Amino acid sequence: MRNPHHRSMLLLAALWLLLIVIFAAIRPAILQPSMIQSVLQFSSMLALVGLGQALLILSGAGLDLSVGGMVSLTSILTMLLVRAGVPAALIPALALAIGLCLGLVNGVLVVNFRLLSLIATLGSMFAYGGLALALTGGATVSGVPSWLLPWGRGTLAGVPAHFLTTVVPAYLIAAAVLALTPLGRWIFAMGNNERSARLVGIPVGRIRFTLYAISGLLSGLAGLISLAWFGSGRPDIGTNMELESLAAVLLGGVAIAGGRGGVGGVLAAVLLVVAVQAGLQYVNVSSSWQLGLVGLLLIVALTADRLPWGLRLRAKG
Amino acid sequence: MRPRLWAGGGGRELTLLAGCLGTAIVFSLASPYFLLAANLATILRNSIELLVIGLGMTFVLAIGGIDVSVGLVMGLAAIGVGHALLAGLPLVLVVLAGPIAGALIGIMTGSVIVFGRIPAIVATVGLLGIYRTAIYAFLGGSWLSGLPGALTALVRMPLPGGVPLPLIVILLLYLVAYLLLRWTPFGLHLLAVGQDEERARLAGIAVRRVRFLAYVASGCLCGIAAVSYVGTYRNVEMTTGASMSLDAIAAVVLGGTSILGGRASLLGTMLGVLLLRMLVNGLTLIGVPSLWQSVVTGVLLLAALIAENVTTGQLPWVRLRRPVA
Repeated sequence: MRNPHHRSMLLLAALWLLLIVIFAAIRPAILQPSMIQSVLQFSSMLALVGLGQALLILSGAGLDLSVGGMVSLTSILTMLLVRAGVPAALIPALALAIGLCLGLVNGVLVVNFRLLSLIATLGSMFAYGGLALALTGGATVSGVPSWLLPWGRGTLAGVPAHFLTTVVPAYLIAAAVLALTPLGRWIFAMGNNERSARLVGIPVGRIRFTLYAISGLLSGLAGLISLAWFGSGRPDIGTNMELESLAAVLLGGVAIAGGRGGVGGVLAAVLLVVAVQAGLQYVNVSSSWQLGLVGLLLIVALTADRLPWGLRLRAKG
Repeated sequence: MRPRLWAGGGGRELTLLAGCLGTAIVFSLASPYFLLAANLATILRNSIELLVIGLGMTFVLAIGGIDVSVGLVMGLAAIGVGHALLAGLPLVLVVLAGPIAGALIGIMTGSVIVFGRIPAIVATVGLLGIYRTAIYAFLGGSWLSGLPGALTALVRMPLPGGVPLPLIVILLLYLVAYLLLRWTPFGLHLLAVGQDEERARLAGIAVRRVRFLAYVASGCLCGIAAVSYVGTYRNVEMTTGASMSLDAIAAVVLGGTSILGGRASLLGTMLGVLLLRMLVNGLTLIGVPSLWQSVVTGVLLLAALIAENVTTGQLPWVRLRRPVA
């Protein structure tokens, strides 16, 4: 277990096993096929947001605390524009464009104005999330056309439609880009050592900017899913997503300093986080407990390869 | 090398002072109520907790750390103070309950960050979730209200000259912090760690202990703020302190303390808090809904950081006219 990535994957597998054993012990009825479907249904948004977060952390570009704010603001702004007279047929394009713009603002702050990513996205997290609440006074904005709803609520071949049409292709593309293209190599190189990446001519600034834009685009897509699913724009839909996405990405084996990890582990960890939440909901535990548990998972994921646990036993040779 | 307590020779503090005055002038023109003595007293009153928490945040940023959970630490400590009040403990113990509870939580925060070797931002985002759940667990989803008024009498007790007690406490805390930073090895170590951790370690400074103590001090100060909070509002609810973390970070950064560490300005923190609270108060007076507060604070934080990078010439694509040296 010298390879830290193997250690993270082992932790993730152990947590999955633990979760299944616990549920099987206290409420066997929970382990049914329909539960898988509802976990997938709930995981789409976090999976998309987590993918953007994973790519940013992988590249060592810091992180994006504003993902939840972008999801909320995208869904609110889209519906406010529709209410103001923009044709409803444009909703998907609007949501993606708004998410992209919000991500671009983060990119400008971090790359052009050279702010630390943590403080820049902390500021935009409150600005975006606050704006979503302030523009609506905290109320939901209704008016999603009915043709969009089947995509948010229905299934294709037993899998939630939006999971199949967004999460699956997004993760496949990301995995292919990371494994097969120069851009993928560059992202790992930046994460490993930004200075040397810069010196060998990798366009570090431009890639970082692009990754913030992608994080915004994926958050916009998550906002679109929330519209199609709930049938209205909710200003608090993205609350706590920064915590959940960080927990998923780090549980998924992405090193916090960048340069190590992959998107497959992230998807497995997203499903774990959502399954934990869904399971708690199933046994009627208040959602306030979920937050603390996710926070705990985040810290466990980060200390996993630090503390001298049993996993750290060094095999000879 | 001497620790620098003022950012750039006091320029930042003067700018902030001008900003405070400008804000006051604009709002006094916009609303006839702004300059009333009662309103100014309200602004001061609303600044008390943030002044204390901001002092702790100044220490945390000075070592190059950050803590987005401080508001909830105040909330948790306030629950401790509230229960001490309800249990009818002597007033001395009630007052001590805050800082003790805060310091204990600070020990937890500091341990996770320093001994778990986790980046402060990620660790405190995780702890934020845990503390929120802890507050929920302690409160059981309801409020802690109808607290006895013993603490309120203490907080409102006017000293000779009509100066409220909390103001004296705050000035004392800032004085102690100043002396600590300026005249003790700990202060020097704090700023040295913030400036260059590796170099500080090579110079023989116990880097981990210094960083740990900064988080404990911050937690302790959050606890002191909790005493004032409970004394003033006599209730604790789920959202107590929720917006305080961003406010504290924004105020301290506005004040010229470097987010990268190694530079702290106590006077700047004070002025940053006052500016923030004046803005919020003024905006409320001219009818802006309170939901806009976090937007204003977030944008102000970003604007302050951008302005700093522009004026210090860190952006190659911005050319500033510089005076000939």
